[in-house]
Amino acid sequence: MTRPAHRPAALVIAGALSVAVALAGCSAAEPASVDTIDWSLTDQTAAPSGDIDSFDWVSYAEPSSLDYAYAFDYADNQVLANVCEALLRLNPDFSLSPGLAESFAHPTPTTWVYTIRDGVTFHDGTALTADDVVASMLRHLDPAVGSYWYSVYQNVVSIERTGDREVTVTMAGPDSVFNLAMGSSAGVIESAATLASAGAEYGNSTGGVNCTGPFQLAAWKAGESITLTRHEDYWDESLRARAASVDILFMNDANARVNALKSGEVDGGWMIPTEAVTQLNESGSGEVLFGLTTAVSSLIVSDTEGPLGDQRVRQALLMALDRQGIVDAALRGVGEVTDVLTTESVWGDASDSAFAAAFEDIESYPYDVEAARALVEEAGATGEQIVIATAPIASEFAVISQATAAAAQSIGLEAKIETVSPSAYTALFADPSAREGIDLFFTSWYLSSPDPLEMYAVLRTGEFSNYGEWSNAEFDAIVNEAVQIDDPTERTENAAEAQRIANEQLPWLPLYTAPMSMFLGERITGVTPSIAFLYYPWAATIGAR
Amino acid sequence: MAPGSAAAPAAVGGSRTSAAVRRVAGKLGGLLLTLFLASLLVFFSRFLVPGDPVRFLLRGREPSAEAVAAVTAQYGLDLPPWQQYLNWVGGILHGDFGRSLQYRQDVTIVIAERLPVTLLLVVMAGSIIAVVGLSLGTVAALNRGRALDRLTLIALTTLGAIPSFVGSIVLIAVFAVQLGWFPSFGSGDGFLDTVYHLVLPSIALALVFIVLIGKVTRSAMVEQLRREHVEVATSRGLARALVVRRHVLRNALGPIITVSGILVAGLFVASSIVEAAFGLSGIGSLLVQSVDRLDFPVVQAIVLLVVTVFVVVNAVVDLLEPWIDPRSTAGDSAR
Repeated sequence: MTRPAHRPAALVIAGALSVAVALAGCSAAEPASVDTIDWSLTDQTAAPSGDIDSFDWVSYAEPSSLDYAYAFDYADNQVLANVCEALLRLNPDFSLSPGLAESFAHPTPTTWVYTIRDGVTFHDGTALTADDVVASMLRHLDPAVGSYWYSVYQNVVSIERTGDREVTVTMAGPDSVFNLAMGSSAGVIESAATLASAGAEYGNSTGGVNCTGPFQLAAWKAGESITLTRHEDYWDESLRARAASVDILFMNDANARVNALKSGEVDGGWMIPTEAVTQLNESGSGEVLFGLTTAVSSLIVSDTEGPLGDQRVRQALLMALDRQGIVDAALRGVGEVTDVLTTESVWGDASDSAFAAAFEDIESYPYDVEAARALVEEAGATGEQIVIATAPIASEFAVISQATAAAAQSIGLEAKIETVSPSAYTALFADPSAREGIDLFFTSWYLSSPDPLEMYAVLRTGEFSNYGEWSNAEFDAIVNEAVQIDDPTERTENAAEAQRIANEQLPWLPLYTAPMSMFLGERITGVTPSIAFLYYPWAATIGAR
Repeated sequence: MAPGSAAAPAAVGGSRTSAAVRRVAGKLGGLLLTLFLASLLVFFSRFLVPGDPVRFLLRGREPSAEAVAAVTAQYGLDLPPWQQYLNWVGGILHGDFGRSLQYRQDVTIVIAERLPVTLLLVVMAGSIIAVVGLSLGTVAALNRGRALDRLTLIALTTLGAIPSFVGSIVLIAVFAVQLGWFPSFGSGDGFLDTVYHLVLPSIALALVFIVLIGKVTRSAMVEQLRREHVEVATSRGLARALVVRRHVLRNALGPIITVSGILVAGLFVASSIVEAAFGLSGIGSLLVQSVDRLDFPVVQAIVLLVVTVFVVVNAVVDLLEPWIDPRSTAGDSAR
């Protein structure tokens, strides 16, 4: 019923790292010659000593649009998060707190009632009203808009102003996931007047946006940079922008980004290529920090009719993969092997028992080629062929496809690697016909809400992103029941059960989880490294070191 | 008699003029025909590329059927291909290249925002190529067979062997990161600042092409230097510089200009690599990005633009040739 939206995160880096791939390709293929990096998670950087006039930040790509309805990418959201705010606020620790809705209620299983905050002004000085909220949310239902966040709204029957400062959303059935998504770009509120006047140009470099965030869009130099300036009338004193202005520069070329950071021309950036971490740390112009993520990198089993349709073969393949070796070779050790498809960071509401069931009472698939070979023989799959799709997207793609092919061969399967273009690879996630003849493909899948159900809802029978059409009646029943449970703690009991089944049956093969990386130059401080930078106004807290 | 004798020269003059008009008209006709064929190729080749633009617009999320229908109609993708073509060409004649799928903006705006950087880059690189290439070629030709000639040829070949992306990386590493003389990215604000920002990129772009102009200049001049009229001019005691300028370089210009026509299109295409390396937002990097993201309207517009520039430049070169070298119209008998 609900289909919380996610996006295959690794795809986002498409193209941007192609040069890095070319340069890193040789060293990455020879694990022995690669030094691993010592790393640890950073919760929070030191508080700034004061405000700063301006700082420069680098992004791997220009936002295609700043229209929240199309903000589904690292490039779009890392800018938008500072400019536009949603009904709820997703914090760096991945908890939700009130945002433009000062409170919400859930009076019946099918209604969500949002009380709109008073005293909030848009960047053009006009006041936020319930009408703005209704207009902003209704856009997701407009077929002509074609919102990327439509799936969040698919159970919505109506969105209406039911009071001076009150908006009521009525759903076709109980849907706990809807409200959780109001902390992402699906919950962003724009001025209704701006939406009407900008029309088709809304959100592009000529139309711009007019939201309520701590920064406002001051300039957009197409293809090069976006300049944000402080919103002086911002409502939340605790997140008032410490910088008077921020320049976000776009550099598609990984070498250009690394050079700009090394030389100190740019003060920071998200998502640093692992092959550049050591040279950046040694450059003396700042350091690379690692923070919370919700992304798990895994191999999607896209054909359950072929040899991988047998659960034993899937388990055997996972056991034959030296996942620690992959982390060392592809990521220089910056990552952790995982046996499940969610990270602990989205289990904040879990009871101790649910948490233990989800992360401790599960199968761990230790590297054991002999046992794996025996499993394949038992399944009668020896000699059968699997096809692994890959693309020159990021350096880890080559390492993982080759390691997977080698693992398959080591347990008696035949393996073929099919290399496609980055855009053809993207099609694997969108178009069933593109997946024909493909057994496995790699993804890094992140969650946008603090709930593991966002992941497991995807794997129900018939879901769009259940690429291998894996089906398990017990799993479906547990997840469907969970979606109707309002109490988050109670819900995680079901989520833990879903996680246990997915861990045993392996519709996708979990490989590892890698932390979100960030470079912080020596001039600035105050930011929390976390994948929440997609929705949280991370630039507001950055000030002078 | 009188009218007849008056008519004769007029007729000669008229036939000369009409020959020129016919030549220009022929060129123009050829130009339009080339552009028409190119537009067919550019437009219909998109149907050979796998990938559905609507799927791209909806980014692979599970779209509602109404959204697919609405978006398909918005971009006119529900029409038969020939009608899409007619709409496209009709739009272009009115200066409308359609909407970018990626930026959700008019293609004309997307391109107009990025064209100035590429144009300036191509002009700067072209100037470097002209000055350095012509000088090196001339120096080599005048010293043919000597050490300086060989040294120049080796230098040219070495420069020509450096791919633009390697040249960019080296230039950034040395002049931007190490010495800090030039910025390593961006196009700056204001004209002078932009020129300053484009110094390294234009050098990186020029490197490969200098060899082309240098070698053509050298061989064309060497050929002229061996000719009788040069020897006659020299034997009459004309100054060496005057002989070189008037009799050698001028006669050698033909092949150089012909090659320059090809070079202009080459510069536009190669600019993508340099723009990416220097974080410049130009037409080249836009083209690469748009191909990657199936943004057909932008790809079609840029390709058509480059083809047009190429065809027009070559047509201009063809038209200029008789002016520079009258022999090319007079035919071989005049040589």
